[in-house]
Order: sequence, then structure tokens, then C-alpha cells
Amino acid sequence: MTRLSKQTLDGNVETLILAVLKAGPSYGYAIVKELNERAEGILQLGEGTIYPVLYRLEEKKLIAARWRLAENGRQRKYYRLISKGHKALAANRRQWQMLSAAMGKVLGSAENLLPKPQVKGATI
Amino acid sequence: MSRALQKYLDHVMLYANRKEQDAAKIRVELEDHLRQKMADLQARGLPGEDAVFQAIEDHGTARTVGYGLRKGFALLDVRTQGTARGFIAIGPRAVGIIAFGNVAVGLFAFGNFAFGALAFGFFAIAGLLSLGGISLAPLGAAVGLTAVGRGAYGMIACGGLAVGLKVPWAIDGVSFLSGENGLQFLQHFRTREGTVALIALTSWLFLIFPIMNGVMCSIKENEYKRIKKIDPKLIE
Repeated sequence: MTRLSKQTLDGNVETLILAVLKAGPSYGYAIVKELNERAEGILQLGEGTIYPVLYRLEEKKLIAARWRLAENGRQRKYYRLISKGHKALAANRRQWQMLSAAMGKVLGSAENLLPKPQVKGATI
Repeated sequence: MSRALQKYLDHVMLYANRKEQDAAKIRVELEDHLRQKMADLQARGLPGEDAVFQAIEDHGTARTVGYGLRKGFALLDVRTQGTARGFIAIGPRAVGIIAFGNVAVGLFAFGNFAFGALAFGFFAIAGLLSLGGISLAPLGAAVGLTAVGRGAYGMIACGGLAVGLKVPWAIDGVSFLSGENGLQFLQHFRTREGTVALIALTSWLFLIFPIMNGVMCSIKENEYKRIKKIDPKLIE
């Protein structure tokens, strides 16, 4: 399966995490699992690389975090989306829709410009 | 089983280089993640030891994860891989107020390729002053074997080549566009005293680079030693 390149992914992981957290509070491992499930294996993130993004989102006050005791008796950090995060997610989503529409139009038309394969001896 | 896990976390935190209190919390979070992953893998039928290594592999290399966990813009950021960002940044690529690296971008930039307000390197581009083999300062002074810039006055191109928008004259150099367009403030350099002052200034500039280079290399060396102390294999 073709994976997305790092360049394509960079800068968008924040939005993906915000989207996952929109469904409700969650923690690192569950966020990664959810991301991979929703993306059906296309993203294939290095699981550890999600934490710097989570900390950055926390610093930007787009998400808030709280330590709670997990079912296995260990302390676990739960993240939840807060109002600034909701707004950021909505804004990013709009941006993506616009970009996706533009890319579709440009790439779609470029595809149409490709020479069509010709069959030898065929008559039209 | 957990020895490999603990060793991996040691390495991650070594590269993360966070304050003790922050580091402890991050470590707890990462360990929880890895243990859950291992449990999931084992539930899917992977033997215990394989599950540990698979969980670590999926998590990412200690260096990548650790560097990612560093503060956004630290006072001092020294890295052996990737881009260092900080007030003083040292790494293969460096961005900071004082940046030192193969590619350095900063207010003061030192490196093979240096870009900044003041840039020193084999290839230097600067707003104010660039010093290097190939030196460009479109708005400031350029010093180097080949110096190009508004202030790449012949004075600074001793024994080299000075090309500028306004080049009044050159010492032992070749200058283009020289002569009538010379800036008035440089006229006093035509005197003997002026020339001496000029050579002193130039020599001083050429001294900065090796001194700064020495300081930065020593900081870099300390970082290597810190990593080596925990695990020499990490440097190999």
C-alpha cells in the first residue's frame, strides 16, 4: 500500500489529532489506534511522534490534559478538545475542503490532458 | 522483557534532554503507551519478547522520538541529527540566535552554509556582514575570497575578488565597478592610517570564526560525551 510522505503529512497531524479528540477525551495510545483505524493504514505514523504534537497542541491551548488512574492501575494522561481547539479544527477543516476541491480540479483537468492510448489499426 | 523497554526509554529521554520533572511525566506516558501496545500485540498472538521489540519499532527510533520531545525553542539545543532550534543552536542544521551547523540560519550564523544578519562560513549570505569563502551581503559588508555585496568594498577582499554595487577600491584584489561610484565614508581608507585600521578590522573578523568555531565544537563534543556516557553505541 502506498503511504503518505512525511512532507505531505507534516503540519496536518495536528488537525488529525484534533479531529480524533472531537469524539471525546482520549489518551496517546488510543489516539494513535483511532488514527490508524480511521485512515485504514495509509498514515502509518511512528507512534512516538504523536507526543510532541500533543504537547504542542497543549501549549497552544487547543487541547487540555489531565492525569487519571487507568484500569491497569497506572497513571494515564487524557487529552480533550477545548473551545480554541474546536475553532482551530473547524478552520483547518475548511482549509482542507478548499485545498482538496482545488487539487481535484487541477489534477483532474491535468489527467484529461494526458494523451490517450491509441490502438494500432483502429478506426474511429 | 522490560529491560529492553527501559533501555529504549532511557535513550528517548537522553535525547529529549528535558528537566527532571517533565522527563518523569513524559516517561510514564510513553511507558504506558508501550505497555498497552505490547499487551495488544500479545493478545494477537505475538510472543512476549517479539511484542516488546515490535512495540519499540512501531514507536520510532529513540533519537527521532527524543528529539521530537525537546522544547520548541530552548536556550541551548545541541543535536547529532536533524534541525537544532534554540537561542544557541548546534546541529547538522541549526536555527537560532547563534546558529552553528552544516546549514546555519540565525542572527549570528556559523557553518558551511550560513545565512543570517552576520554569517560566517564557506558560503555565507548575510544582511549586515558575511565572512566566508563565497560571501554575499546584498545590503551589508561581505568579506571573503569572493565577496559580493553593497559593502564588498575592496578593503575586505584582500587577495581575493571583490564585486559590489559600489566598489571604491581594493587592496591586492580585483574590483569591478570601482572608481567614481565610491561611497564618501570610505574615502578616509585611502590614507595609510585608514589602511592599517582596515587591515586590523579584517584580521579581527577572520579571528572571530575560529574562536566561535572552537566554542561551538566544544559544546558539541560535550553533547556527544553525554550521550556516550549512557550508551557508547548510540554514537557509533
